[in-house]
Amino acid sequence: MTHPSELISAYLDGELIGDETSKLLSHLATCGRCSADLEELQSVRTAVRSLPVLELPPGLVPEADAFVVPIHRNRGVWVGAAAAAVALIIAIASIVTPPPVSISVDDLTSRFGARASLDPAFSPAKVVVPVLGELSE
Amino acid sequence: MKRLASLVVVFTLMPASAAWATELDELLEQSREAAYTAEQIISCSTPDGVRYAIVKIAQSNGEIRMTSTVAGDVQVSSGDGGWTLSRQGGVISSALVDSEMEPVEPLYVVEDTGNTNFLGRDAMVHQLIRDGVLRAELVFDDETGALVAATTFTANGDTYCERRFVSFDSADPGLESNDLHETDELQPSSEFETLLPESVAGFDRLDLYEDEVGFRFAYYSDGFFSFAVFETPTTVDLPDAKTVQFGEGAYQRSFTAGQATYVWETRSGGMALLGDLPPDLHEAVLATLPPSRDPGILRRIWRSLFG
Repeated sequence: MTHPSELISAYLDGELIGDETSKLLSHLATCGRCSADLEELQSVRTAVRSLPVLELPPGLVPEADAFVVPIHRNRGVWVGAAAAAVALIIAIASIVTPPPVSISVDDLTSRFGARASLDPAFSPAKVVVPVLGELSE
Repeated sequence: MKRLASLVVVFTLMPASAAWATELDELLEQSREAAYTAEQIISCSTPDGVRYAIVKIAQSNGEIRMTSTVAGDVQVSSGDGGWTLSRQGGVISSALVDSEMEPVEPLYVVEDTGNTNFLGRDAMVHQLIRDGVLRAELVFDDETGALVAATTFTANGDTYCERRFVSFDSADPGLESNDLHETDELQPSSEFETLLPESVAGFDRLDLYEDEVGFRFAYYSDGFFSFAVFETPTTVDLPDAKTVQFGEGAYQRSFTAGQATYVWETRSGGMALLGDLPPDLHEAVLATLPPSRDPGILRRIWRSLFG
Protein backbone atom coordinates (compact mmCIF):
# COMPACT_ATOMS: atom_id res chain seq x y z
CA MET A 1 0.00 0.00 0.00
CA THR A 2 1.38 3.44 -0.93
CA HIS A 3 0.57 6.43 1.29
CA PRO A 4 -3.28 6.43 1.21
CA SER A 5 -4.02 10.03 2.18
CA GLU A 6 -7.56 9.91 0.80
CA LEU A 7 -8.35 6.91 3.02
CA ILE A 8 -7.14 8.79 6.10
CA SER A 9 -9.59 11.60 5.44
CA ALA A 10 -12.40 9.10 4.79
CA TYR A 11 -11.45 7.23 7.98
CA LEU A 12 -11.85 10.38 10.05
CA ASP A 13 -15.24 10.97 8.41
CA GLY A 14 -16.29 7.38 9.20
CA GLU A 15 -16.73 6.66 5.51
CA LEU A 16 -14.52 3.60 5.10
CA ILE A 17 -16.27 0.41 4.05
CA GLY A 18 -15.45 -3.30 4.13
CA ASP A 19 -11.90 -4.13 5.13
CA GLU A 20 -10.60 -0.65 4.30
CA THR A 21 -10.42 0.25 8.01
CA SER A 22 -8.33 -2.77 9.00
CA LYS A 23 -6.05 -2.28 5.97
CA LEU A 24 -5.54 1.37 6.85
CA LEU A 25 -4.86 0.65 10.54
CA SER A 26 -2.28 -2.00 9.70
CA HIS A 27 -0.62 0.45 7.30
CA LEU A 28 -0.58 3.16 9.98
CA ALA A 29 1.23 0.78 12.33
CA THR A 30 4.19 0.67 9.95
CA CYS A 31 4.13 4.13 8.38
CA GLY A 32 5.18 7.15 10.41
CA ARG A 33 4.42 9.42 7.46
CA CYS A 34 0.73 8.47 7.39
CA SER A 35 0.51 8.47 11.21
CA ALA A 36 1.78 12.06 11.14
CA ASP A 37 -0.82 12.93 8.47
CA LEU A 38 -3.57 11.39 10.59
CA GLU A 39 -2.47 13.27 13.69
CA GLU A 40 -2.31 16.54 11.79
CA LEU A 41 -5.76 16.10 10.24
CA GLN A 42 -7.18 15.22 13.63
CA SER A 43 -5.68 18.32 15.23
CA VAL A 44 -7.05 20.55 12.44
CA ARG A 45 -10.53 19.04 12.82
CA THR A 46 -10.39 19.46 16.58
CA ALA A 47 -9.31 23.07 16.22
CA VAL A 48 -12.10 23.86 13.73
CA ARG A 49 -14.72 22.17 15.89
CA SER A 50 -13.62 24.10 18.95
CA LEU A 51 -14.46 27.44 17.30
CA PRO A 52 -17.53 29.11 18.86
CA VAL A 53 -20.75 29.07 16.86
CA LEU A 54 -22.26 32.55 16.53
CA GLU A 55 -25.90 33.01 15.76
CA LEU A 56 -26.93 36.10 13.83
CA PRO A 57 -29.69 38.10 15.51
CA PRO A 58 -32.89 38.32 13.46
CA GLY A 59 -32.97 41.29 11.09
CA LEU A 60 -29.23 41.91 11.32
CA VAL A 61 -28.55 41.67 7.63
CA PRO A 62 -30.90 44.49 6.46
CA GLU A 63 -29.55 46.75 9.21
CA ALA A 64 -25.97 45.86 8.33
CA ASP A 65 -26.67 46.67 4.70
CA ALA A 66 -27.62 50.16 5.72
CA PHE A 67 -24.27 50.67 7.44
CA VAL A 68 -22.06 48.86 4.96
CA VAL A 69 -20.16 51.96 3.87
CA PRO A 70 -19.14 53.18 7.37
CA ILE A 71 -18.12 49.65 8.42
CA HIS A 72 -15.80 49.27 5.44
CA ARG A 73 -14.28 52.64 6.13
CA ASN A 74 -13.45 51.62 9.70
CA ARG A 75 -12.13 48.15 8.90
CA GLY A 76 -8.67 49.32 7.90
CA VAL A 77 -8.25 51.13 11.17
CA TRP A 78 -9.22 48.10 13.21
CA VAL A 79 -7.02 45.71 11.19
CA GLY A 80 -4.10 48.06 11.52
CA ALA A 81 -4.62 48.40 15.25
CA ALA A 82 -4.84 44.61 15.67
CA ALA A 83 -1.66 44.07 13.64
CA ALA A 84 0.17 46.70 15.68
CA ALA A 85 -0.98 45.04 18.91
CA VAL A 86 0.20 41.61 17.74
CA ALA A 87 3.54 43.05 16.62
CA LEU A 88 3.95 44.76 19.98
CA ILE A 89 3.20 41.53 21.87
CA ILE A 90 5.69 39.58 19.72
CA ALA A 91 8.35 42.27 20.16
CA ILE A 92 7.93 42.32 23.94
CA ALA A 93 7.87 38.50 24.14
CA SER A 94 11.02 38.23 22.03
CA ILE A 95 12.81 40.61 24.40
CA VAL A 96 11.74 38.98 27.67
CA THR A 97 11.88 35.32 26.54
CA PRO A 98 15.30 33.65 26.16
CA PRO A 99 15.73 31.97 22.75
CA PRO A 100 15.03 28.20 22.79
CA VAL A 101 18.07 25.98 22.95
CA SER A 102 18.39 23.72 19.92
CA ILE A 103 19.42 20.16 20.68
CA SER A 104 23.02 19.22 20.03
CA VAL A 105 23.64 16.16 17.91
CA ASP A 106 26.08 15.02 20.63
CA ASP A 107 23.12 14.28 22.89
CA LEU A 108 21.68 12.02 20.21
CA THR A 109 25.00 10.37 19.37
CA SER A 110 25.60 9.35 22.98
CA ARG A 111 22.19 7.69 23.24
CA PHE A 112 22.51 5.91 19.92
CA GLY A 113 26.02 4.81 20.85
CA ALA A 114 24.85 3.49 24.22
CA ARG A 115 21.98 1.52 22.71
CA ALA A 116 24.15 0.18 19.88
CA SER A 117 26.55 -1.25 22.46
CA LEU A 118 23.77 -3.64 23.54
CA ASP A 119 23.27 -4.86 19.98
CA PRO A 120 24.37 -8.46 19.30
CA ALA A 121 26.27 -7.07 16.31
CA PHE A 122 28.25 -4.67 18.54
CA SER A 123 31.92 -4.84 17.57
CA PRO A 124 34.75 -2.52 16.49
CA ALA A 125 32.79 -2.29 13.22
CA LYS A 126 29.83 -0.72 15.01
CA VAL A 127 31.29 1.62 17.60
CA VAL A 128 29.62 4.95 17.02
CA VAL A 129 32.12 7.61 16.04
CA PRO A 130 30.95 11.07 17.11
CA VAL A 131 30.01 13.80 14.68
CA LEU A 132 32.36 16.16 16.50
CA GLY A 133 35.13 15.08 14.18
CA GLU A 134 37.84 14.91 16.80
CA LEU A 135 38.33 11.25 16.02
CA SER A 136 38.59 11.95 12.31
CA GLU A 137 41.58 13.34 10.55
CA MET B 1 2.98 -28.79 -1.33
CA LYS B 2 4.12 -25.71 -3.22
CA ARG B 3 5.69 -24.36 -0.01
CA LEU B 4 7.54 -27.63 0.54
CA ALA B 5 8.77 -27.54 -3.03
CA SER B 6 10.02 -23.98 -2.66
CA LEU B 7 11.84 -24.87 0.56
CA VAL B 8 13.54 -27.73 -1.22
CA VAL B 9 14.57 -25.33 -3.99
CA VAL B 10 15.93 -22.80 -1.48
CA PHE B 11 18.02 -25.36 0.38
CA THR B 12 19.20 -26.88 -2.89
CA LEU B 13 20.35 -23.51 -4.17
CA MET B 14 21.97 -22.49 -0.86
CA PRO B 15 25.75 -23.05 -0.93
CA ALA B 16 26.97 -25.88 1.27
CA SER B 17 29.05 -23.46 3.32
CA ALA B 18 26.13 -21.09 3.98
CA ALA B 19 24.28 -20.98 7.25
CA TRP B 20 21.38 -18.95 8.58
CA ALA B 21 22.32 -16.12 10.80
CA THR B 22 22.57 -17.83 14.18
CA GLU B 23 26.13 -18.37 13.03
CA LEU B 24 26.49 -14.60 12.74
CA ASP B 25 25.45 -14.23 16.38
CA GLU B 26 28.02 -16.82 17.43
CA LEU B 27 30.80 -15.16 15.46
CA LEU B 28 30.01 -11.73 16.86
CA GLU B 29 29.68 -13.13 20.39
CA GLN B 30 33.18 -14.63 20.09
CA SER B 31 34.44 -11.32 18.80
CA ARG B 32 32.98 -9.46 21.80
CA GLU B 33 34.71 -11.83 24.22
CA ALA B 34 38.13 -11.26 22.66
CA ALA B 35 40.69 -9.05 24.41
CA TYR B 36 43.25 -7.10 22.40
CA THR B 37 44.66 -3.75 21.35
CA ALA B 38 44.76 -2.65 17.73
CA GLU B 39 44.95 0.26 15.36
CA GLN B 40 42.06 0.63 12.95
CA ILE B 41 41.55 2.58 9.75
CA ILE B 42 37.99 3.57 8.92
CA SER B 43 37.24 4.73 5.40
CA CYS B 44 33.75 5.43 4.09
CA SER B 45 32.76 6.48 0.57
CA THR B 46 29.66 8.56 1.19
CA PRO B 47 27.53 10.52 -1.30
CA ASP B 48 29.12 13.65 0.21
CA GLY B 49 32.73 12.49 -0.11
CA VAL B 50 35.17 10.19 1.67
CA ARG B 51 35.22 10.16 5.48
CA TYR B 52 38.08 8.49 7.26
CA ALA B 53 39.60 8.11 10.68
CA ILE B 54 42.50 6.30 12.31
CA VAL B 55 41.87 5.12 15.85
CA LYS B 56 43.53 3.03 18.51
CA ILE B 57 41.26 0.34 19.91
CA ALA B 58 41.41 -1.56 23.16
CA GLN B 59 38.83 -4.26 23.87
CA SER B 60 38.41 -6.22 27.07
CA ASN B 61 35.51 -7.49 29.18
CA GLY B 62 32.98 -6.56 26.47
CA GLU B 63 34.03 -2.92 26.46
CA ILE B 64 35.68 -1.11 23.58
CA ARG B 65 37.74 2.07 23.89
CA MET B 66 38.67 4.14 20.87
CA THR B 67 41.31 6.84 21.06
CA SER B 68 42.06 9.26 18.28
CA THR B 69 45.53 8.99 16.84
CA VAL B 70 45.22 12.64 15.82
CA ALA B 71 43.91 14.09 19.08
CA GLY B 72 45.15 11.61 21.64
CA ASP B 73 43.17 13.17 24.45
CA VAL B 74 39.81 12.32 22.86
CA GLN B 75 38.36 8.95 23.73
CA VAL B 76 35.14 7.01 23.16
CA SER B 77 34.25 4.21 25.59
CA SER B 78 31.39 1.93 24.69
CA GLY B 79 29.89 -1.31 25.94
CA ASP B 80 27.13 -2.88 28.02
CA GLY B 81 24.67 -0.05 27.36
CA GLY B 82 27.09 2.79 28.01
CA TRP B 83 28.74 5.33 25.73
CA THR B 84 31.07 8.12 26.83
CA LEU B 85 32.98 10.73 24.90
CA SER B 86 35.73 12.29 26.97
CA ARG B 87 38.57 14.71 26.45
CA GLN B 88 41.54 15.02 28.78
CA GLY B 89 39.69 12.80 31.23
CA GLY B 90 36.65 15.09 31.36
CA VAL B 91 33.32 13.72 30.12
CA ILE B 92 31.88 15.69 27.19
CA SER B 93 28.87 13.50 26.54
CA SER B 94 27.61 10.21 27.92
CA ALA B 95 24.55 7.97 28.06
CA LEU B 96 23.50 4.74 29.69
CA VAL B 97 20.52 2.74 28.42
CA ASP B 98 18.85 -0.55 29.17
CA SER B 99 17.03 -2.81 26.73
CA GLU B 100 14.04 -5.08 27.22
CA MET B 101 13.55 -6.47 23.73
CA GLU B 102 14.91 -9.72 22.44
CA PRO B 103 17.40 -9.17 19.62
CA VAL B 104 15.86 -9.32 16.19
CA GLU B 105 16.29 -12.51 14.20
CA PRO B 106 19.03 -11.59 11.72
CA LEU B 107 17.85 -11.54 8.13
CA TYR B 108 21.22 -12.47 6.72
CA VAL B 109 22.60 -15.62 5.22
CA VAL B 110 26.18 -16.08 6.41
CA GLU B 111 28.47 -17.57 3.80
CA ASP B 112 31.86 -18.89 4.82
CA THR B 113 34.15 -17.91 1.97
CA GLY B 114 37.38 -19.43 3.21
CA ASN B 115 40.63 -18.84 5.04
CA THR B 116 42.92 -15.90 4.61
CA ASN B 117 46.00 -14.40 6.17
CA PHE B 118 45.46 -11.08 7.91
CA LEU B 119 48.35 -9.19 9.52
CA GLY B 120 50.35 -12.43 9.45
CA ARG B 121 47.66 -14.35 11.31
CA ASP B 122 45.19 -16.99 10.22
CA ALA B 123 41.72 -15.59 9.68
CA MET B 124 38.36 -16.61 8.27
CA VAL B 125 36.24 -14.58 5.83
CA HIS B 126 32.43 -14.54 6.06
CA GLN B 127 29.97 -12.75 3.82
CA LEU B 128 26.57 -11.46 4.93
CA ILE B 129 23.92 -11.71 2.25
CA ARG B 130 20.43 -10.29 2.52
CA ASP B 131 17.78 -10.90 -0.15
CA GLY B 132 20.50 -12.17 -2.46
CA VAL B 133 22.58 -9.00 -2.06
CA LEU B 134 26.06 -9.00 -0.51
CA ARG B 135 25.92 -6.44 2.30
CA ALA B 136 29.04 -7.09 4.35
CA GLU B 137 32.27 -9.04 4.42
CA LEU B 138 33.74 -9.79 7.85
CA VAL B 139 37.19 -11.13 8.68
CA PHE B 140 37.62 -12.89 12.05
CA ASP B 141 40.96 -13.70 13.61
CA ASP B 142 41.16 -17.50 14.08
CA GLU B 143 42.98 -17.52 17.40
CA THR B 144 41.05 -14.83 19.29
CA GLY B 145 37.79 -14.61 17.32
CA ALA B 146 38.25 -10.84 17.05
CA LEU B 147 36.62 -9.06 14.13
CA VAL B 148 39.68 -7.59 12.47
CA ALA B 149 38.13 -6.21 9.27
CA ALA B 150 34.64 -5.35 8.09
CA THR B 151 33.55 -4.02 4.73
CA THR B 152 29.98 -2.96 4.02
CA PHE B 153 28.43 -2.59 0.58
CA THR B 154 25.62 -0.77 -1.15
CA ALA B 155 23.03 -2.76 -3.11
CA ASN B 156 24.91 -2.32 -6.39
CA GLY B 157 28.11 -3.76 -4.92
CA ASP B 158 30.02 -0.55 -4.24
CA THR B 159 32.01 -0.39 -1.02
CA TYR B 160 30.40 1.90 1.55
CA CYS B 161 32.63 1.56 4.62
CA GLU B 162 35.78 -0.35 5.30
CA ARG B 163 37.14 -0.78 8.81
CA ARG B 164 40.35 -2.75 9.08
CA PHE B 165 43.00 -3.26 11.70
CA VAL B 166 46.48 -2.24 10.64
CA SER B 167 48.10 -3.56 13.81
CA PHE B 168 46.94 -6.18 16.29
CA ASP B 169 48.16 -7.32 19.70
CA SER B 170 46.24 -10.13 21.39
CA ALA B 171 47.47 -9.20 24.88
CA ASP B 172 44.62 -8.30 27.24
CA PRO B 173 44.66 -4.51 27.88
CA GLY B 174 42.77 -5.15 31.16
CA LEU B 175 40.24 -2.37 30.81
CA GLU B 176 38.42 -1.33 33.91
CA SER B 177 34.68 -0.95 33.55
CA ASN B 178 33.51 2.37 32.17
CA ASP B 179 32.58 4.59 35.12
CA LEU B 180 29.01 5.63 34.37
CA HIS B 181 27.49 5.21 37.81
CA GLU B 182 26.49 8.86 37.98
CA THR B 183 24.59 8.67 34.70
CA ASP B 184 20.87 7.88 34.97
CA GLU B 185 20.04 4.71 33.07
CA LEU B 186 17.36 5.28 30.44
CA GLN B 187 14.77 2.51 30.54
CA PRO B 188 12.79 1.40 27.50
CA SER B 189 9.07 2.06 27.60
CA SER B 190 6.13 1.73 25.26
CA GLU B 191 3.62 3.57 27.40
CA PHE B 192 3.37 6.63 25.21
CA GLU B 193 2.05 7.44 21.77
CA THR B 194 4.67 7.78 19.09
CA LEU B 195 4.87 8.42 15.38
CA LEU B 196 7.81 6.04 15.10
CA PRO B 197 6.63 2.92 13.22
CA GLU B 198 7.11 -0.67 14.39
CA SER B 199 9.07 -1.50 11.27
CA VAL B 200 10.86 0.62 8.70
CA ALA B 201 12.01 -0.68 5.32
CA GLY B 202 12.91 -4.11 6.71
CA PHE B 203 14.25 -2.83 10.05
CA ASP B 204 12.38 -3.75 13.24
CA ARG B 205 11.84 -1.32 16.09
CA LEU B 206 13.44 -2.98 19.11
CA ASP B 207 13.18 -0.41 21.89
CA LEU B 208 11.42 2.88 22.54
CA TYR B 209 12.70 5.41 25.06
CA GLU B 210 11.34 8.60 26.59
CA ASP B 211 13.22 10.66 29.13
CA GLU B 212 11.84 12.97 31.81
CA VAL B 213 11.69 15.97 29.45
CA GLY B 214 9.80 14.13 26.72
CA PHE B 215 12.82 13.39 24.55
CA ARG B 216 11.95 10.21 22.59
CA PHE B 217 13.84 7.78 20.44
CA ALA B 218 13.51 4.33 18.91
CA TYR B 219 16.23 1.85 18.01
CA TYR B 220 15.90 -0.18 14.80
CA SER B 221 17.92 -3.14 13.54
CA ASP B 222 17.89 -5.77 10.83
CA GLY B 223 20.35 -7.98 12.72
CA PHE B 224 23.48 -6.22 11.48
CA PHE B 225 22.88 -2.61 10.47
CA SER B 226 21.08 -0.39 12.94
CA PHE B 227 19.90 3.14 13.44
CA ALA B 228 18.05 5.31 15.94
CA VAL B 229 15.29 7.80 15.18
CA PHE B 230 14.69 10.70 17.54
CA GLU B 231 11.56 12.82 18.05
CA THR B 232 12.66 16.10 19.54
CA PRO B 233 10.63 19.08 20.76
CA THR B 234 12.91 21.56 18.99
CA THR B 235 15.20 21.40 16.00
CA VAL B 236 18.54 19.60 16.12
CA ASP B 237 21.72 21.53 15.43
CA LEU B 238 23.88 19.61 12.93
CA PRO B 239 27.13 21.45 12.12
CA ASP B 240 28.53 21.35 8.58
CA ALA B 241 25.44 19.61 7.24
CA LYS B 242 24.47 19.41 3.60
CA THR B 243 20.85 19.91 2.51
CA VAL B 244 19.43 17.04 0.45
CA GLN B 245 16.00 16.51 -1.02
CA PHE B 246 14.07 13.25 -0.78
CA GLY B 247 10.58 13.35 -2.23
CA GLU B 248 9.05 16.68 -1.26
CA GLY B 249 11.11 17.04 1.90
CA ALA B 250 14.41 18.76 2.68
CA TYR B 251 16.82 17.05 5.07
CA GLN B 252 20.11 18.13 6.66
CA ARG B 253 22.71 15.39 6.30
CA SER B 254 26.16 14.74 7.69
CA PHE B 255 28.49 11.76 7.49
CA THR B 256 31.29 10.74 9.81
CA ALA B 257 33.51 7.69 9.39
CA GLY B 258 30.88 4.97 9.81
CA GLN B 259 27.80 6.96 10.65
CA ALA B 260 25.16 8.90 8.76
CA THR B 261 23.07 11.58 10.46
CA TYR B 262 19.91 13.21 9.11
CA VAL B 263 17.93 15.95 10.84
CA TRP B 264 14.71 17.53 9.65
CA GLU B 265 11.81 19.64 10.78
CA THR B 266 8.28 18.40 11.15
CA ARG B 267 5.12 20.30 11.98
CA SER B 268 5.45 19.30 15.63
CA GLY B 269 9.21 19.71 16.19
CA GLY B 270 12.38 18.06 14.97
CA MET B 271 13.49 14.60 14.01
CA ALA B 272 16.87 12.97 13.59
CA LEU B 273 18.20 9.67 12.31
CA LEU B 274 21.63 8.29 13.18
CA GLY B 275 22.90 4.98 11.89
CA ASP B 276 25.41 2.85 10.05
CA LEU B 277 23.12 1.66 7.27
CA PRO B 278 24.43 2.01 3.69
CA PRO B 279 23.31 5.10 1.73
CA ASP B 280 21.14 3.19 -0.75
CA LEU B 281 18.75 2.41 2.13
CA HIS B 282 18.43 5.98 3.39
CA GLU B 283 15.63 7.15 1.13
CA ALA B 284 13.48 4.05 1.74
CA VAL B 285 13.86 4.46 5.51
CA LEU B 286 13.14 8.20 5.49
CA ALA B 287 10.07 7.65 3.28
CA THR B 288 8.30 5.73 6.05
CA LEU B 289 9.10 8.17 8.85
CA PRO B 290 7.18 11.38 9.64
CA PRO B 291 8.09 13.64 6.72
CA SER B 292 10.15 16.76 6.51
CA ARG B 293 7.75 19.70 6.37
CA ASP B 294 8.13 23.42 6.53
CA PRO B 295 6.39 24.32 9.78
CA GLY B 296 5.20 27.64 8.34
CA ILE B 297 6.07 31.18 9.29
CA LEU B 298 3.75 31.40 12.31
CA ARG B 299 5.07 28.20 13.86
CA ARG B 300 8.63 29.36 13.21
CA ILE B 301 7.94 32.62 15.03
CA TRP B 302 6.25 30.75 17.87
CA ARG B 303 9.15 28.26 18.19
CA SER B 304 11.78 30.97 18.00
CA LEU B 305 10.02 32.72 20.85
CA PHE B 306 8.87 29.92 23.07
CA GLY B 307 10.62 26.77 21.87
